[in-house]
Amino acid sequence: MVAGFGGLLFLMALSAVGSLFLLRGLRSGDAGLQAHFLSRSQTLEQIRSAIYLSGTFARDYLLAPAPDGSIAQRSALTALRKESESSLQTYARSLGPEEVKPFHALEKQIEDYWQVLDRTFRWGPAERAKFEYAFFYDELVPRRTSMLQIADRIAELNELSLKRGNEQLGQRFGRLQSILGLVDGLTFLSGALLAAFTIHYLLRLEAEASRRLSESVAAKASLRELSAKLLRAQEDERRSLSRELHDEAAQKFSAILMEAENLLDLGPGEPVRARLECVRAQARIGLDEIRNMALLLRPSMLDDFGLVPALNWQGREIARRTGLRVQVAAGELADELPEEHRTCIYRVVQEALNNCSRHARASTVQVAIRAESNQIHLSIQDDGSGFDPQRVRGLGLLGMEERVRHLGGSFDVDSHPGLGTTLKVKLPLATLTEIAVHA
Amino acid sequence: MPDTIRILLADDHNVLRDGLRLLLERQPGFTVVAEAAGGREAVDLAEEHAPDVVVMDIAMPGMNGIEAARRIVDNRPNIGVVILSMHYDESYVLRSLKAGARAYLMKDSLKADVIEAIRAVAQGNSFFSPRISRILQEDYIQALAARNEEDSYELLTEREREILQLAAEGRTNKEIANLLNLSLYTVDTHRTHILQKLNLHSVAELILYSVRKGIIS
Repeated sequence: MVAGFGGLLFLMALSAVGSLFLLRGLRSGDAGLQAHFLSRSQTLEQIRSAIYLSGTFARDYLLAPAPDGSIAQRSALTALRKESESSLQTYARSLGPEEVKPFHALEKQIEDYWQVLDRTFRWGPAERAKFEYAFFYDELVPRRTSMLQIADRIAELNELSLKRGNEQLGQRFGRLQSILGLVDGLTFLSGALLAAFTIHYLLRLEAEASRRLSESVAAKASLRELSAKLLRAQEDERRSLSRELHDEAAQKFSAILMEAENLLDLGPGEPVRARLECVRAQARIGLDEIRNMALLLRPSMLDDFGLVPALNWQGREIARRTGLRVQVAAGELADELPEEHRTCIYRVVQEALNNCSRHARASTVQVAIRAESNQIHLSIQDDGSGFDPQRVRGLGLLGMEERVRHLGGSFDVDSHPGLGTTLKVKLPLATLTEIAVHA
Repeated sequence: MPDTIRILLADDHNVLRDGLRLLLERQPGFTVVAEAAGGREAVDLAEEHAPDVVVMDIAMPGMNGIEAARRIVDNRPNIGVVILSMHYDESYVLRSLKAGARAYLMKDSLKADVIEAIRAVAQGNSFFSPRISRILQEDYIQALAARNEEDSYELLTEREREILQLAAEGRTNKEIANLLNLSLYTVDTHRTHILQKLNLHSVAELILYSVRKGIIS
């Protein structure tokens, strides 16, 4: 594309420079042609006038009554001869190929003419009286006439050469026109080609971009769907594991405890009693561990009684383990939420409380849930060390946000170093009623 | 107190139920009249056998122990229900009490506690596993601290504290009036004041409060 545009610009510049150069050449060619023609015409004119004048002077010399009177004519003729010879030399410097033959003929004629005239200068009065008229009319006049004819022919040839030069210039101009036309056409054609190519390329880019956009949107959506599925699967897994631990494994330990009690009740001897008490103690520890594991996986209150008892339990657990004071304020509606909403809020609060006890060095956390016309508002506020939400994006915040987004909710973190942290979650209840209807 | 305490056992785990039955039957004055493997069955058998005491788990298939306790006490208010559960959280305790159970035991309770709980409810009294009492008390102290609240117990007069304890032990207003030589009306007024001052709304909450405060165990 860059090469295409560059080429186009280069072509345009080249055509402009080329035409300027050619036009200048044409103009100077034209001027030169004219000047050449004029100077040659002038030289020819000088030769012609020299020949005319020589005739006049020759006649006056021949007809002069005394030889003394002819001296002035004789010197005038000599001057004319020199003048015409120098004109001939000037003209000879720029001979066209067609002019060579007639010009040499003219030279010869003129030379002969001057030779003939030369002879007359040596005549005595008797010879002059004898020849004067006859010589002038029979010898000099025809010679002069033929010289003038040759000069006319050369003038014609000179004009012809001007015409030819003009024609040549016309041809060159025509060639320039056609070259310019060609270059223009070429430029236009390549411009059009380039434009077509560019449009095609842009359209393809646009199609590609929109295809990639829709691909990435689809990929994002399916990723989101997948992660929602994963979250659900994880929650289901936790629920069933928790229940299994609680209802099966723990009950087995209870049975062992009960049997130990039964055996102790039978009044065994001291070594057996000690072993049995050991069994009972181990069974109690095992029972506690299993119960705690089950509760950590998913507290049974969440499924048995709803969100608020589960949150209260969570708060008490955190308080017992870490000394963090947790206040939970929640209305009745919080217990009537659909399973997904309950789980979402519970997990978000759980994660937030963990953050508070682990990172925030908070002493009090307030958890508030209230329902408005079509939204559930959850806020978790601590008085801990806070952080910069622009820079810190760990702390399970992404996971919390992901859970909230799945239910079409919004998730905001308001925290500043030294000023505590407030998490704000809004979950739409429109989906809630829909879920209730479908359920 | 009857000569023999007739007991109904309800638990969906057979091994545990068998062990419990063995334990109880060895006690003089205890007899197990029926066993149920679920809440619904427990309700039916309680209706059929009219036992003095029902010892029941919460987590049971079909109908849970709390719902079954509610129905049993609704049908026969004289039956004392002992909840024997894996859960120690107050949400389970409170709901059990609200449903009408009078004793709450952990499944890791010692034999002595089980026997004491059955005797207590047979006499119309309450009983809680020492462990449950301790957990509830600790949680209560934590909750007071979290809310920066003064303990409202301090607001009660000497006489009100006396009545609170008797009420929490499961005695009726009439019994309390006789014990303290007061009129029934006076006891009733005291009771109302106690509930108001402590922000309680039912006998179940009153009992839970007393356990949390360590007034009864």
